[in-house]
Amino acid sequence: MKQLTLYVDKQSFVHAVDPITKLFYVAFAILTSMLVPTAYAGVICALLSLSLLCLAKVIKNASPVFLFIGFVLFTVVVIQGLFGVNNQTEAFRLSGLIFYREGLITGAKIILRVVNIVSAFLILTLTTKASDLVEDLVRAGLSPRIGYVITSVFQIIPQMISSADIIMDAQRSRGMETEGGLMVRMKAFIPLIGPVVLDSFMSTKERAMALEARAFSAPNKKTFLRERPAYTYAAKLRGAFVVLTLAALIWRLAA
Amino acid sequence: MSKKSVWSVKLSTASLVLIPAAVGVNYIGKLFAQLLKLPLWLDSIGTVLASMLAGPIIGALAGLINNIIYGFMDPVSFVYGITSVAIGVVVGLMARIGFLENWVKAGIIAFAVIFTSTVVSTPINIIFWEGQTGNIWGDAVYAGVLNITNTVWLASFLDELIVDLPDKILTVLIAYGIYRGLPKNLLQLYRADSEIEELK
Repeated sequence: MKQLTLYVDKQSFVHAVDPITKLFYVAFAILTSMLVPTAYAGVICALLSLSLLCLAKVIKNASPVFLFIGFVLFTVVVIQGLFGVNNQTEAFRLSGLIFYREGLITGAKIILRVVNIVSAFLILTLTTKASDLVEDLVRAGLSPRIGYVITSVFQIIPQMISSADIIMDAQRSRGMETEGGLMVRMKAFIPLIGPVVLDSFMSTKERAMALEARAFSAPNKKTFLRERPAYTYAAKLRGAFVVLTLAALIWRLAA
Repeated sequence: MSKKSVWSVKLSTASLVLIPAAVGVNYIGKLFAQLLKLPLWLDSIGTVLASMLAGPIIGALAGLINNIIYGFMDPVSFVYGITSVAIGVVVGLMARIGFLENWVKAGIIAFAVIFTSTVVSTPINIIFWEGQTGNIWGDAVYAGVLNITNTVWLASFLDELIVDLPDKILTVLIAYGIYRGLPKNLLQLYRADSEIEELK
């Protein structure tokens, strides 16, 4: 079955960190790079996140994401370089097109910002099982009902993908065209999506009844199936991230 | 029949299990759009449908959880959660005040969704991408408008609008078509003004 999340099952000290502490890191990396008034902070945060990805041995799995945003970022740099609002100083010409210094600098800043945010989040998503994150959030006080909703999505989507395949085959065998002009393809969308939606929305009623029969709405305190050992340095790391972010805030206010 | 507030929400088990179904439909919509190589995303049909059925709060939750989960596959999606939440709220509210009666009114919902989506996404685009959307057609408009008027806001707004217009019209109309086809006993589960007694 197709895996939905980017999680890579490996052993490393980054994988060992608990999910909530990783959330603290994401907030720290993003806020610090935005708060500290020099561009170096962004470079340092991005390098830190990227080296953590390397140390967690998941940098290879991160590359498709970077490739995708790289394409968008490339168009951003080209458009900013050509048409940026503050463009004044000519940087260079390329087959008749004039690229401006100011626009290219804006483009570079956007690249830094986006790489920063994406790599910080990738540390969380590549090294954390989604169900572990949800479980820890529930332990920290998230409603178990919402926790159930989030984990069940990860089970429902693979099911829906396989039923989507069946519907696609069924409709094709009835002679539905899935290739050709735009209108032909547009028309094919409705008979494909319709059955999937009806199927999944109709089954919500049964799912609700099944859950109720298992005391889903019982007001008692919920217990956990698995007990996981607490991460040793959680408190220290979280404290350090908060202090560093506050330091960045003070730096910003003082500057 | 007493009418309750449009914001009223039954966080019943039935409404909660609607959320994973909605996120799944969003995902499948996007999948089919890619399979058929449509130049659209069609990735919010589920959110719109859930809002039509269960109102603004469930709609907003569906939008939020949708983007959190997409965030696990593509981190940029986290920040656009705000747009999904706004779409859920707008559709849910309009559904509650009677815009689901006929196709014309559903068309009005579509335009409200386009407006909301554009107004909410534009600042995000400006913060993250200096106003671009990453869509070729939209960014061509962006470059053109920026070259003529030199205002990032206008260029970015039109960039987003041109991308959202066909996508959101079709999303809302497809969702409405499916909504009309849903059996009454399913709709009944989510009626805000229903007087069904629950066993406690």
